Amino acid sequence: MSEDRGTETLREDPAEVAPNMNEDRTLRQNRFSVLISVLGIYFLAGILMIVGVMVSERFLSAANMLSVVGGVTILGLVAVGAAFVTYSGHFADLSIPTTMAFSGVMAVEALQFGIVAAIITGLLVGLVIGLINGFVIGKFRANPIVWTLAMAFVIRGLMRWIWSNRQIYPEVEGAATGAGQHFVNLYRYHLLGVIPMTVVVLAAFAIVLHFVMKQSSFGRQLQITGASFEAARLSGINVSRNVGLAFLICAMTAAVAGIFLTSLSRVGAYYMGEGYDFAAVTAVVIGGVTLAGGRGSIVGVIGGVLVIGLMRNVMTLMGIDTFAQTIVTGAVFILAVGIQSNSLRRLGRDDA
Amino acid sequence: MKRLGLIALVLMLAGGMVAFAGGAREADTAVAEDNLERSLEVDISGLRSADGQTLLPELSSKEVPSRPDNPRSLPETDPMHWYDMEYLGWGVEEKINIPDSPADGAIGKRVIAIINGDHPYLTAYSTGMQKIADAYSMDLTVLSPNWDLAEQNQMLDEAINERPDMIILVPLDARVAIQQVRRVNRAGVPIILSNMLPEEEAMQYAIAWTGPDDWGQFREMARVWADELGRSGGVAYIRHAPGGSPYFARTYGPITELAEYAPDIETLDMQAPGFEAEATMQVVSDWLTRFGDRLTGIGLADDSAQAIGTIEALRRAGREDVLVIAAGNSKVGMDMVKDGDLLAITYQSAEADGAVALKTAVDWFNGLDVDPVLYIPKQVITQENVEDFMPAQW
Repeated sequence: MSEDRGTETLREDPAEVAPNMNEDRTLRQNRFSVLISVLGIYFLAGILMIVGVMVSERFLSAANMLSVVGGVTILGLVAVGAAFVTYSGHFADLSIPTTMAFSGVMAVEALQFGIVAAIITGLLVGLVIGLINGFVIGKFRANPIVWTLAMAFVIRGLMRWIWSNRQIYPEVEGAATGAGQHFVNLYRYHLLGVIPMTVVVLAAFAIVLHFVMKQSSFGRQLQITGASFEAARLSGINVSRNVGLAFLICAMTAAVAGIFLTSLSRVGAYYMGEGYDFAAVTAVVIGGVTLAGGRGSIVGVIGGVLVIGLMRNVMTLMGIDTFAQTIVTGAVFILAVGIQSNSLRRLGRDDA
Repeated sequence: MKRLGLIALVLMLAGGMVAFAGGAREADTAVAEDNLERSLEVDISGLRSADGQTLLPELSSKEVPSRPDNPRSLPETDPMHWYDMEYLGWGVEEKINIPDSPADGAIGKRVIAIINGDHPYLTAYSTGMQKIADAYSMDLTVLSPNWDLAEQNQMLDEAINERPDMIILVPLDARVAIQQVRRVNRAGVPIILSNMLPEEEAMQYAIAWTGPDDWGQFREMARVWADELGRSGGVAYIRHAPGGSPYFARTYGPITELAEYAPDIETLDMQAPGFEAEATMQVVSDWLTRFGDRLTGIGLADDSAQAIGTIEALRRAGREDVLVIAAGNSKVGMDMVKDGDLLAITYQSAEADGAVALKTAVDWFNGLDVDPVLYIPKQVITQENVEDFMPAQW
């Protein structure tokens, strides 16, 4: 209902709304549209749940619900970090897959020094890649798509050169210290025997990053930076630092996701993580973080991740094949981008 | 007198030249014969792959039935529907412009192999090929275009310009392979195709195709699977990448085999979530929700990421009773067979795959008859024999 009223207001006088909007009104509209986008994604999740119940009586079983969530935790970890890049107005980080692969491979390589060393090494890889991306894009204003794509090429080339295209195995590298098995169990560990640890880690990241985005001064500055880079810069905000931090957060969550993915796959290899970049951007965008930057929330992104999980689940339950599923996911992405651009245009903010 | 003397001189010179040339030819023939003799004497039976298996045991043969009139009109569960894929290369009636074998032995020959990309499997493949090259003191170069078709075409042109004694090609694209092979053929360079199947037409211009018998392997494994399933229940398949030959072979191989061997086994679904553990895990979890106890078996096109995702989903659901088979044989897959997570995987020796391509070239250089299609040996790996195949090649 409220959504209808909102669009009605705009429809009444579209020509006047945009030019006459004062700053106060813009802010209100923003909060309102953010609310809609956040609620909207959970509304979609609700619809999918209803369809699911109609399709299968086992849909609401604890096992199925856990499998929906369990199947998208790694994606979720990537998405909550990637959201910061999109939020900062820099679209996407295409070095996500290689960051995942590299931290996984390096962690496996470091297993000879124990499990703690392995995890720290994996995280350090994310830190270094994030710092480089952040510095170059934040400081030198490199095009984020081109730069992160180039970065992905370089890292991948490096991995293939160092390990001669071979894959390495945690159980082999960590055999001497016994850390290999611990590493493999990282992904498989269940808290209290029921809740997968990956879900707990994702929840922790989501909560912390939600507060970082919404409550911290960095988050507020990032919002302004994302909404209008020049305005933020002119008002004295350290835009280089903020953009750099956004890429750093993204690389760090990608590194965590990479360690989990390597643990799950029991293999460290240069090709790990492929496809997570687009899947993450899809989750981020349908979760309400606009590609134009400065709008959206982690709550919405988690909703986006859940919707992707639910969509896959419901479609498989309906017997729809994987190719059609890919088309549907792509179509939802296009639709989300379309709706966002349209609502921004209506608000007169499509140039932001 | 002078004139007679001049004629005699010319005749002598000419006679001398002919005698010299004849002698040189004799010497050439002698060297060639010697090289052939030495090549034929090379014993490669002692060569082993990294897993301790004989690098090149006796190659598998395949019974080729006659082609039905219109295979595509038959139902998909009929093995003959897939005739043109499964027996690709056997039906070529006439080979075009294939150079005659020099029959002068393989030793010292220059061979350029162009593979399709970088992958742990192909690294082992190249290792196997190199072992054969070393055994015959051949000059082998292996080039990888890293999954880039334009790059592969360029490498092929450069290889043709170098005029090696043989080109070995792993096609990147089944259709483009026709032009590629024709180009090499027109340049008069002998070519052998390997590993990935091209379209049938390409086979006319190549001496042979060598590689795994994907269909045969899955037929063999499907029987083991069916026996363990008690020839009943419901199965589902995770497929290979669309477009390639394994996409069909690893799904319809078992489906058509089971239709004959265990017709009570029902095919519930097939999906292609790619080679990604998390995505596969979700598909399998969804199947468990959708089919419940009806799902008793899962067939996989890959024994690494797909197997990991599948087993993880089964474990989470407490459904370890589901019997899983997969195309192998990576380290991950073999470990899972050993642990009892996977019922069976196929033995596809990457090193043998590379070795057989070059060994076929060797046979051709040695003037031996070469079959149009040569398969590497197929075997099913289960918990009972898995130790024989370890450590894994890749």
